[in-house]
Amino acid sequence: MEKTQKSLTRREFFLKFGAQVTGAGAGILLVQESIPALAAASPTKKYGMVIDTNRCIACHGCTIACTSENNVPDGHYRSWVKIMSKGKYPNVSSHFLPRLCNNCEDAPCLNLCPTGATYRTHEDGVVHVNREVCVGCRICVVACPYGSCFINPITNTADKCDFCYHRITKGLKPACVDACTGKARIFGDLNDPESEISHYIENRSTQRLRADLDTRPKVHYVNADENIMGPDYGKLLGRRS
Amino acid sequence: MNESVQYIYWIEHGVAMGYLIAWYLWLISLAEGTHIVAHLSWLYYRTEDYRPLEKVGTFQPFIILALVPLFLVADLAHPERFYTMFYHWHWTSPVAYGVYIITFCMISYAIHAYYLFRPELMHRARQEGPLQFVYRLVVFNHAESGGIREVRQRQERRERFWAGVSFFFSFMGLIYLGILLSSFKGRVVWHSSVMVFIFFSFGACSGSAFLILLTHLKNALAHTSPKALVEQRRYLAEFGILLKYSLVAQAAVFFIYFVLLQYTGIGGRLASKVFFGGPRAFQFWFFQVAIGLIVPFALVLFKSMRQNVIVSSIASIASMLGTLYGCMNIFIGGQLLPMTHFRWEHLESEPGRMAFGIIIMAVMFVFFLVTYKVLPYENIEA
Repeated sequence: MEKTQKSLTRREFFLKFGAQVTGAGAGILLVQESIPALAAASPTKKYGMVIDTNRCIACHGCTIACTSENNVPDGHYRSWVKIMSKGKYPNVSSHFLPRLCNNCEDAPCLNLCPTGATYRTHEDGVVHVNREVCVGCRICVVACPYGSCFINPITNTADKCDFCYHRITKGLKPACVDACTGKARIFGDLNDPESEISHYIENRSTQRLRADLDTRPKVHYVNADENIMGPDYGKLLGRRS
Repeated sequence: MNESVQYIYWIEHGVAMGYLIAWYLWLISLAEGTHIVAHLSWLYYRTEDYRPLEKVGTFQPFIILALVPLFLVADLAHPERFYTMFYHWHWTSPVAYGVYIITFCMISYAIHAYYLFRPELMHRARQEGPLQFVYRLVVFNHAESGGIREVRQRQERRERFWAGVSFFFSFMGLIYLGILLSSFKGRVVWHSSVMVFIFFSFGACSGSAFLILLTHLKNALAHTSPKALVEQRRYLAEFGILLKYSLVAQAAVFFIYFVLLQYTGIGGRLASKVFFGGPRAFQFWFFQVAIGLIVPFALVLFKSMRQNVIVSSIASIASMLGTLYGCMNIFIGGQLLPMTHFRWEHLESEPGRMAFGIIIMAVMFVFFLVTYKVLPYENIEA
């Protein structure tokens, strides 16, 4: 076949192609290098909580304080304590797991909300529900793997823990943290290396609920029993483990 | 050791979304499956005799899609805010896309059905009769010259264009249903790419069954010439073959789904238990497998049975019932797995919502019957 003036030789093609691939690669590397630098320079906070289960005495003070502070209707909970006993007499141990919304970094309730009523405040990473926009479709309730969302029968909208946002923006601690008898709850900015919560996490081994789902919860637990951490599917399957 | 674990205090979360939404998913898969089957068959046959069935397979799904959002609205805690879903759009949520997909689907069905009926409507608009003003109104009082064949030839490109658009949105609708459920990563029963294929198989089964049933109903209620009746029954017997293979496909997809669940860890095995021996076992084995798969398969297995109006109608009803229970088993069953504790979640009865759903279904049926009497489904001989 006769070649035209515009056609490329194989050598020219590979030279141009190679130059373009090298350029694109260098661009991607530069962007990747700059992302952590940008993140480090970011002034945003990341509010989270550590719950030291060694200190929890299951007094339900957090549940009552939360209900009172946020006008949570009867039969619904933004914060509660799961209680379990393990072993056989005389070797019995009690285990408590205070529960609340994990304000996940990759929150399924936020991702699946069709109207964007569930949203995140970018300056601190807290997940909220906008009651003016929520249509009450219950998708967030079904999507949350931790059972932390519910439909508030008074407002007819989704409801969940937002770390008592009205308090923390005024420099106060969430009501459950203030009410905790054993000082089991530590609240603060996970992005601040000098904060109490950061030191607590740094010096202890912590766990997060349903880590397999990669929702990146911002509530960490210290020394929680593995049986109390998630749903007990083994019991429903009638299996001994 | 699990046997020595005792739960003392916990919170039950219950089933948040009940039967009304399961019903909604089933009706959408039914409408879209019916349209896909009707249109694919048109592409296969391409004869004028087939056109009445294409009309059934386009206009009846439009009626369903026009009324089915009421199921969703009735289930909202703030039903008066339903319309805000169109402009408070959240790009990561499948439902945000679904609202538009189902709306465009409904609009495209309406326009496609309009072009399918238009030549006969033009003809009726020219004839004296009690409903002449209605026919004139629906053709915008614009009487084209020429016979039915000429009118159809002139609009053929527009008709085929809207057929293609509605076909595309039908597929998008079924894909949407699958992605909608599989996007819930905390729900083991739903979080599987097989969901898309489950809804495809539901669409194929219920779609072919619905088309058979509706056409039999149309033939019983509207006047159909003996020649057209023979032709249509031949097509319906062939839809019986389609139903047969759709049932096999549905069984195969569910088999794959359950095999995959076995490899999804303890959650997957518990998800299987919901169907095999758990709280949805009776609905699964009796309604979904026995009534919905085995009975219709046996009824459409042989040619003589497929040609029998009563037998094929019973097979269609059984198949539709099976897919309805299939949707309910997956949707409700997916929410029965506990979130934080050790018992099946509790499903509260919803008599008010169920009554609402039944009323809407009755309204749909009345619309079907009215359109059989009013709209020209049959070809009009020149």
